[in-house]
Amino acid sequence: MKFDDKIPIYYQIKNYIYREIIVGKLAPGDKLPAVRQLAVDLTVNVNTVQRALGELISEKIIEPQRGKGNFVTEDRDTIGKLKKMLITEQLQDLYENLHKLNVSDEEIVSYLENYINERKQVQL
Amino acid sequence: MTNTIEIKDLNYRKNYRSILEDVNLNIGKGKTVGLLGENGAGKTTLMRLIAGVAKGGSGSITIDGKTDVPVKKSFVSFSEQLNGFNPSMRIDKIIRFYEDVYPDFSTEKYNKMAGFLQIDEGLRLSALSKGMKEKLVIGLTLSRDAKVYLLDEPFGGIDSMSRKKIIQSIIKWKSDDAVILVSDHYVSEIASILDEVVIIKDRTIYTQKSAEEIRSKYAEGIEQYYESIYEGNDIDD
Repeated sequence: MKFDDKIPIYYQIKNYIYREIIVGKLAPGDKLPAVRQLAVDLTVNVNTVQRALGELISEKIIEPQRGKGNFVTEDRDTIGKLKKMLITEQLQDLYENLHKLNVSDEEIVSYLENYINERKQVQL
Repeated sequence: MTNTIEIKDLNYRKNYRSILEDVNLNIGKGKTVGLLGENGAGKTTLMRLIAGVAKGGSGSITIDGKTDVPVKKSFVSFSEQLNGFNPSMRIDKIIRFYEDVYPDFSTEKYNKMAGFLQIDEGLRLSALSKGMKEKLVIGLTLSRDAKVYLLDEPFGGIDSMSRKKIIQSIIKWKSDDAVILVSDHYVSEIASILDEVVIIKDRTIYTQKSAEEIRSKYAEGIEQYYESIYEGNDIDD
């Protein structure tokens, strides 16, 4: 995976793991690769992986089990909240960018509907 | 004490020319640190001083609490460019030499790394490509059980696949407590594995910063930050 060197890497690792969980590549209860293996796979420093995992643990997204490793939470509620957070982030960007273009709330809704319909047409 | 390397008031002259002035530097246990600076800034000299290969100068260099040169030497594994070996020497002979000279050299570790880096031990030194030679240097250097590894410009002029393999082997085989100091001017390639960067400019340590701090505080890449120091902050792209 390619990192953006302008953004803290621990933050990008967190986002990467969030996404793996949301798209189901890491299922609830799955074991995460060992810290060093993650570091090698992502070509990052072991300490940076530790920091990212530390935050994921305090967010209860992953659960450490002594001597066994780190596991994705099996709490559906936590994963649901995570998904909502990621979606909200995307919507927030979209909303703010369109507002900067002087698009009103009502227009945003209609533009979005039109856009989705057009995409459906293209796919058919 | 958590600093593996402590350098105090180091001054170094060569042929009446000042190379390093008032260098003060602490590097904590387990850190991977990028030593950045222009050619001729003094990166190699600083590494040679830490390794105990260059002598003289004033001030002190402490490695893991020790200042005694032979003890320090045994703590530091410095990537040497194998220039002292006969070019017709076979790789396996060089490995035997390392086994004999360095008591902390682990053949088991070397064999694992050599397999990963795909080093052909039947070849002679003169037959190695630049990338292969650098892989060998890294393999030999990291196979010692040292407290400090000094990698002097390991990526100069080598292909991107070799570079990637070398970076991966650094992550894979660095022990948790060991310090790795890697000098380079291709900053972007190693940026993601660094804990800290140390920038040498005008014969001294210009700054020492955490890599993540540069990203979060300045919203800059390591390369950009480094270039802005050398070019002056007022220059636009």
